[in-house]
Amino acid sequence: MELAQSLTLSNLGIHLLVGLSRAMILFIVASGLSFVLGVLRVPNVAHGSLYMIGAFSAFSIFNLFGGSPLGFWLALCLAPFVVALVGLVAERSLFCHLYEREHLMLLLFTFALMLILGDLVKIFWGSDYRSIMAPEVLRGSIPVLGSSFPKYNLFLLIIGPLVAIGLYFFTNKTKIGKIARAAAVDREMVGAIGINVSWVFAFAFVLGCFLAGLGGAMVAPTISISLGMDHDIVIETFLIVTIGGLGNMWGALIGSLIFGITQSFGVLFWPQFAIVFPYIAVVIVLIWKPTGMLKSVW
Amino acid sequence: MKKTGSFMGFIFILTVCLLAASFAFLPAHAQARDIKVGILDAYTGPAAVFANDALKAFKLALEEINKEGVLGKKIEFVTRDTKFKVDIGLNMAKELVMREDVDLIVGTINSGVALAVSDAISKKEKVPFIVWISKSENITGKKGHRYVFSTADNTAMGGRSGAYALSRKPYKTYWIAGDDYSYGHDLANTAWEKLKAAKPDVEKIGESWWKPGEPDLIPYLTNIMTAKPDAVIFCTGGLSMANVLKAVKTTGMAEKFPIWVHTATDHAVLKPLGADAPEGVMGTMHYHFYYPEIPENKAFVDAFKAAYGEPPGFPAFNAYVTAKLIAEAYRKAGAVDKEKFVDALEGLKVDTPIGMLEMRACDHQMVYPIFLGVTKKLPQYDFAVSSDIVTLPGTEMLPTCEEIQKARSAQ
Repeated sequence: MELAQSLTLSNLGIHLLVGLSRAMILFIVASGLSFVLGVLRVPNVAHGSLYMIGAFSAFSIFNLFGGSPLGFWLALCLAPFVVALVGLVAERSLFCHLYEREHLMLLLFTFALMLILGDLVKIFWGSDYRSIMAPEVLRGSIPVLGSSFPKYNLFLLIIGPLVAIGLYFFTNKTKIGKIARAAAVDREMVGAIGINVSWVFAFAFVLGCFLAGLGGAMVAPTISISLGMDHDIVIETFLIVTIGGLGNMWGALIGSLIFGITQSFGVLFWPQFAIVFPYIAVVIVLIWKPTGMLKSVW
Repeated sequence: MKKTGSFMGFIFILTVCLLAASFAFLPAHAQARDIKVGILDAYTGPAAVFANDALKAFKLALEEINKEGVLGKKIEFVTRDTKFKVDIGLNMAKELVMREDVDLIVGTINSGVALAVSDAISKKEKVPFIVWISKSENITGKKGHRYVFSTADNTAMGGRSGAYALSRKPYKTYWIAGDDYSYGHDLANTAWEKLKAAKPDVEKIGESWWKPGEPDLIPYLTNIMTAKPDAVIFCTGGLSMANVLKAVKTTGMAEKFPIWVHTATDHAVLKPLGADAPEGVMGTMHYHFYYPEIPENKAFVDAFKAAYGEPPGFPAFNAYVTAKLIAEAYRKAGAVDKEKFVDALEGLKVDTPIGMLEMRACDHQMVYPIFLGVTKKLPQYDFAVSSDIVTLPGTEMLPTCEEIQKARSAQ
């Protein structure tokens, strides 16, 4: 296909929408990673594994209800809590003893945790591919700008901003959110004014895990759920939080938008080499703004 | 004095124990031992589902074979995990040959591992190696040699069967899309080359390539649909396969465009999708547990189901055929000898669940018929199956012996 031919307004529009919907999933997962990075200063490589557990949990809950639409909605609501619970156990038993360690140690530790969680998923769910179905209302596609646009992606476009707004209210309007934000900037000071930093940290970690789980549950109907899905996402989300500004929630949003939209437009402009577009964008951003688009809390 | 005495006593006992132990191990080498197969495969990661399927059927086949034995011996096996990585695979293969002293190596789903082991271990150490899942046509094609065999279907067969199927359709313009690694490109190249040869007026209007396992294919499919080709060829495997079919279903692509995907009709792909699988996608496959409906296939499927509670996939079938081949080849060779084993395997015909099949002598490739079908939901299954199956003759789906010879001598 000629480039000029592909550059119609409707083509650009549909690819923008597709890219935006992909960015929503990336944002949900990356915001959790960013939150943990910002507040706890932990580069959690196991974040992708929590996303994978979210997807597998969604599968189990969906199946528990015989694959009915109710099962789907429950899976979407409950799977993130399952992951949050896993996060709570991991934080209280392991992470809480390690916050003072240097980053390299934490990186090694979370890498080990990623391998362990990966194997636990294999033991618990087996190595088969799994799949869940969105309910009838979200299946199929609707015509948008002369092309077909999957209804589920439309749903993602609604949920993504809701999550962003929820996170905004949480970090700006609630007390614990404000404390978490303060701890991200200066944790000694937060401790010095008599706040139990340990529980703030636990809460922040669990919230990060919840978001990973939510991302996993949200993506589940669009892919085949399998071992190894943790690896790709963890690389992508780390790049996103890096270009957005480490630990900055809105940076994660901007990073996700850059990543999702460059990927989608890459497919439109040069489908043979679409893979490289998001990474080129990452390189450009890092040359232009080495600490990321927005202010890093590190 | 007394202390020294007890110390000497301890040394004496230790020496006796060590001697006894070494004698206990010696006869193991001295006596006629069983035939030992070294299995090399990816038992961790997403590919484990295929590797385990193969292993299960291999065990099942050995149980049957060992009832009567081969040359008065049993066939035993040891496994090693490649973790889907070439370097680990090579080390594990070395370990199988050096430490486990295996009579032959079988296995591996990863074409990279298969080619590396074929070259660095099998060819160099003169150890027979039967590849049972990897689909690179180079294994028995241009990189083939005396000691390597394949009981897997390969990209040459896949591409040829696709070209065969599509050349009989009226489509003119095509879009080719797939996984950006050797399997995807090999399949695409063969399919397009053969299709173009059979029908010179076909035109390729675009290509898309994504990384293997890419979770989000919607942008790619949207792009293809706006280009409006007459038909679409997807060259994907493994994990991407399910993702492609899911995206095809979500975008409603199958209703608007004819699609051919090699192995789209594979049960391992269609089962997890359940009712979410798209209908009307053309696929090609060399084994289905529900086809052909002959007693031999039914017996194999029933035995597999009884043992493991699920029907066998194509890796299971390949591994089952491999076990049969190994037993038959040793019987024909009359001795546990690597050279005689290779000679015996060449041109060997074995009875399999889908009928008599031949290990082609000229390139050491198992000749499988290919089943061309269309995905369809039938009331008796809660997953989609291949329907309206046409059987394409195996020898026509393979490169000719001359083509193989030319490719090898060009190396």
